[in-house]
Amino acid sequence: MDVTITKNDAKTFVVLNGRLDTTNADQFQKDITPLMEDPAPDFEIDCTEMQYTSSQGLRIFLMLQKSVSSKGGKMVMVNMKPQVKEVFDITGFSNIIKII
Amino acid sequence: MENFADKYGLDARSSMIMSQYVGMMPLFKRMEEVLSKELEHFLAQNNIYVTALETRVKTEESLAGKLDKKGFKYDTIFDLTDIVGARVITFYTDEVDKIAAMVDRIFEVDWVNSIDKRKMHQLDSFGYNSLHYICRIPKKMFFDPQYPEINEIRFELQMRTALQHVWATINHDIGYKTGIEIPVEHLRNINRLAGMLELADEQFSAIRQEFNDYRRRVQELVSSGNFNDVPLNGDTFRSYLELRPFDKLLKKIAAVNQAEIHNSSVTPYLNVLFDLGFKTLGEVDRMIHENSEDAYQLATFQLAMTDLDIISSTIAIQDLCEVYILKHGGGVDALTEMFDKVNGKSEGNSMRAESVVNAAKQLSFMNRKKLEK
Repeated sequence: MDVTITKNDAKTFVVLNGRLDTTNADQFQKDITPLMEDPAPDFEIDCTEMQYTSSQGLRIFLMLQKSVSSKGGKMVMVNMKPQVKEVFDITGFSNIIKII
Repeated sequence: MENFADKYGLDARSSMIMSQYVGMMPLFKRMEEVLSKELEHFLAQNNIYVTALETRVKTEESLAGKLDKKGFKYDTIFDLTDIVGARVITFYTDEVDKIAAMVDRIFEVDWVNSIDKRKMHQLDSFGYNSLHYICRIPKKMFFDPQYPEINEIRFELQMRTALQHVWATINHDIGYKTGIEIPVEHLRNINRLAGMLELADEQFSAIRQEFNDYRRRVQELVSSGNFNDVPLNGDTFRSYLELRPFDKLLKKIAAVNQAEIHNSSVTPYLNVLFDLGFKTLGEVDRMIHENSEDAYQLATFQLAMTDLDIISSTIAIQDLCEVYILKHGGGVDALTEMFDKVNGKSEGNSMRAESVVNAAKQLSFMNRKKLEK
């Protein structure tokens, strides 16, 4: 899973590329650690090239969402492939994380 | 030493009191700190929420003005009771009495000099309604050998509602700014307004009482299981959720993949329940019982072929609503509407709705429905 983080004014753009599963979840968590430290988070996570997420991935997105909510920030995931969106839908995570 | 006689045109005795005041300022400041901290502590301990808690030490100018007008009444600084003052502003009138009772327990109240201005009015008059207690800080609450006088000096504690505060503030402003005696016709208008505020205060307290009574009755009905008599609204739904009505289904769904359940609020689904026409908790409770097995079937169909071992606690009500909609003739549009309502509008919602419809086509509850037709 490749992670690219760019900041444009107050907004942070995150681009995900590849599969997110148990083999790379730890690295993914490390990659997004800078996002957890943002005092005023406003994140747009582009999932155009994200192929899959496992439960480990869901847990990391949940952790990120909690961090964002605790600071009154915003997080939105965009351009999700249907097979990835399905994972969020059938686990009820679409109710927790904003996906457009 | 500063010459207060020249500065404010005071007589010798008042000037001496001014000197005492300046010399004792560190003590007054300390007293104010203690008062603020103790009041804050006791209000929190008694679960009393107030709009404001203010403390202050009288300013030099204000004291000089007072001594200029009424200096003949005081021999020493210890005769003044309002050098240090506190004001507690409440939401409701009954809370003023509650705070007064609390103050009576924690401070030493000088009853001779305390005034309940709320009881001072003639039957045909209105006006400044406030409760003023003159108190001392008892040694058992606070004692500092550096400032033993803190337990001797009296302070004034005003207790009033927010509306009484509005009245007092505006009345003071008008009186202060004009500096002249208010003509009778204007006084009548001020008194009319005071009467209205007094009535409004009473009404707010009465409305709160009625609302609390209603909430208690509803909670009793909910906990006794008499759901049919309980209208569905935000308040009753929250009480119902305390009974954890979705837990059984949720645990069953979680067991499919031995999944961890992440707790998340289901209240966004309240609007969906309204849209589906539910009017009482009884109807919601029946919907859960009548559709749990089918919702479980749907969840199993979606999850069993995956290794996803975390679910949101919203999944139970989500699947229940999906099943209910499908069994009542709803399709892609109705499901899309539900997802739009709960998760926010998104193009993916209609695809999600199609996916649910396709899954349901393979499940027994939808085929049962066809056979019934």
